[in-house]
Amino acid sequence: MNMKKRITEGIKNLCLSLVGFAVILLLWAFIVQYTDAGLLIPSPLGVAQRLIYVITHPIGKSYTLPMHLVISLRRVMTGYCLSIVAGVLLGVSMGRLEMIQAIFRPIFEIIRPIPGVAWIPMAIVWFGIGETAKVFIIFMGGFVNIVVNTFAGAQRVDEDLMNCARMLGANERQVFFRIVIPFCVPYIFSGLQVGLSTCWMAVLAAEMVAAKEGVGWIITAGQDIADMTQIFVGIIAIAVTGLALAAILRLAEQILCRWRVRGK
Amino acid sequence: MDEIKVSVNNLTKSFGDLLVLDDVSFEVKNGEFLCIVGPTGCGKTTFLNSLTSLYDIDSGSITIKGERIDPRKHDIAYIFQEYSTMSWLTVQENIEYGLKIKRYPKAEIKKRAEQTIEMVGLANYRKYYPRQLSASMLQRVVIARAFATEPELLLMDEPYGQLDLQLKYYLEDELINLWKKTRTTVIFITHNIEEAVYLSDRILVLTNKPTKIKESIDNHLPRPRKVSDSDFIHLRNRVTDLIKWW
Amino acid sequence: MNEITSNKLVIECKDVSKAFFNREGDHPVVDNLSFSVYENEFVVLFGPGQCGKTTILNLITGLETVTTGRVTVNGEIVDGPSPKRGLVYQTTNLFMWYNVMKNVEFGPSVQGVPKKERRKRAQHYIDLVGLTGFEKTYPVKLSGGMQQRVGIARAYCNEPEIICMDEPFGHLDAQTRYLMEKEIERISGAEKRTVIFVTNNAEEAIYLADRIILLRNCPTSVKKEYCIDLPRPRDYTSAEFLALREEITNAMDKVI
Repeated sequence: MNMKKRITEGIKNLCLSLVGFAVILLLWAFIVQYTDAGLLIPSPLGVAQRLIYVITHPIGKSYTLPMHLVISLRRVMTGYCLSIVAGVLLGVSMGRLEMIQAIFRPIFEIIRPIPGVAWIPMAIVWFGIGETAKVFIIFMGGFVNIVVNTFAGAQRVDEDLMNCARMLGANERQVFFRIVIPFCVPYIFSGLQVGLSTCWMAVLAAEMVAAKEGVGWIITAGQDIADMTQIFVGIIAIAVTGLALAAILRLAEQILCRWRVRGK
Repeated sequence: MDEIKVSVNNLTKSFGDLLVLDDVSFEVKNGEFLCIVGPTGCGKTTFLNSLTSLYDIDSGSITIKGERIDPRKHDIAYIFQEYSTMSWLTVQENIEYGLKIKRYPKAEIKKRAEQTIEMVGLANYRKYYPRQLSASMLQRVVIARAFATEPELLLMDEPYGQLDLQLKYYLEDELINLWKKTRTTVIFITHNIEEAVYLSDRILVLTNKPTKIKESIDNHLPRPRKVSDSDFIHLRNRVTDLIKWW
Repeated sequence: MNEITSNKLVIECKDVSKAFFNREGDHPVVDNLSFSVYENEFVVLFGPGQCGKTTILNLITGLETVTTGRVTVNGEIVDGPSPKRGLVYQTTNLFMWYNVMKNVEFGPSVQGVPKKERRKRAQHYIDLVGLTGFEKTYPVKLSGGMQQRVGIARAYCNEPEIICMDEPFGHLDAQTRYLMEKEIERISGAEKRTVIFVTNNAEEAIYLADRIILLRNCPTSVKKEYCIDLPRPRDYTSAEFLALREEITNAMDKVI
């Protein structure tokens, strides 16, 4: 493909998206200046200034924005990793073993539609108001999605492919680890992508449970002291971090699922 | 009627840096059955897609009876390799479908559909749905649907490539039958040299990319043709020698 | 009947019948089928589409079990899949997450052959099928014909007693097919094996076979056998080839 054409296409797209952002910023500034609703929301400039300020100055008692981010990330990563382990295990076993599916699927289908926030009271009752409760809420955010996607993949493993492996001499263990699991990897990654974003979004719900730090806390604290700018800062921090995490995961997928890419 | 139906002039098409079609020019007479063959990987499909205006061509022109080709104005029917009948319509409705799209009057639709259904021998199955039919019947519905609109040009891209051989031979004969009765202009693209010799009035041999026309060979073998006839073999070998890369 | 290189009986199907059962009753697919295959013979099972050729192959490889009758390979009754019976599929069934080398060495790998030896073996077969240089390529980047070569190399690399091929070139275009038929001829010449090859393409059958077994329409059994003793490599357009082709095509049951 023509390199020059590709670069011009890329620049064009970048400019268009910048235009999109610019329009939104202008609209925002306009609403703040000239409408009644605008009296309640901070100006884009104000938010930008605060954003820069809190990178080096603490919000609340002692942590700056980056430090809050790290704390939240730690929580989310713990919950996320646990949900991956549990989710993949359950998804694969439900997909491959009839008995497991018969036992666990009905339970799972009931848990599935429960929204993340609804887990808060349950978490507090079971785990109190410490870290465990927060990690649990985050865990539930990702767990469901990972199970659903992994299960879909595990169910779909081509019988012909497995027979082919058996005919070449593989025993059942080898069929499982060399055929079933690799086959499921793209499906698992779909689950991981969705799970990551839902886990990250669940950080807000999690930190509503008596947290004293974290990006979710920034928002709830801002609400308590009626500081809209702080709320905005929290939202932007969550959004940008979520974007970065998703990009990293996509990169990991490209490397691990190299075998799916056609290329020229 | 020996007038020129389709005229392709200096057709050129590139994808980025890759020149696929290189100044391809040829003509197709009215009612002619033209087969286009080339080595695997030559721009046959690109050529067809350019004809159907699915791709924009870089330069050159394609005209039907002197007018620039336009799927909205000209009656062009296509049969690709991955074609299918519409599973929610009966045989009759499938065949009428093309006519309905072209907004023919109701009486005309009924008349033409009737003629075509008779021609392919599916009169007793008109109310059946595709899932109730055998593979050969399904393919007959597709041919019938294409021929019902009495198209100015019928484009076929390797439609019998993956089929079971008995079915393939049967459908080739069906196709020739219908073509003889309606005298439609047909451009048939295939990898299969024997098929090209069996079906065509003329064979256009393409080169590898960048694709040019290597040779145009008239095919005057009397129909019905026999693949074991020495004349048939002679022509087949001649075309094979032009293309052979294996 | 001409003499084949060796008279050792390798595959025997004796009075084999196979029926599939479902709610609507039983559907016999194979009905009293008997034939034999001798060592290093290239036998082609030829018949109209959907007649049950694949089922016969599945019975020989053990992916299906007979309803009545018996299939033996080298004296052993077939009762399940085994690495002693290799299969090349029409849809290749390659392991897309392994590169060419890992696909080809899969058989020896799962059977515990040490790395050095199995690499060497796999390389031999990769070279044999003409894929030298593509060892680290992933299947998704290969054309249909090349993918099929990987499938063939993988089956051969396991060094089974027999190799079955189920219309391996069915999805390829006519010209690539000619190429692959030539390649199979060359490979079979270089590595003698007992091969059962299934096809519904008369040209392909006559080009490749030592012997053609013509099958009836479903429920299938042997209609006739043809010994093909034309000298190799064969010419698709020679008079004898065409005469045979006409004879066999006419003898085939009509499905339409």
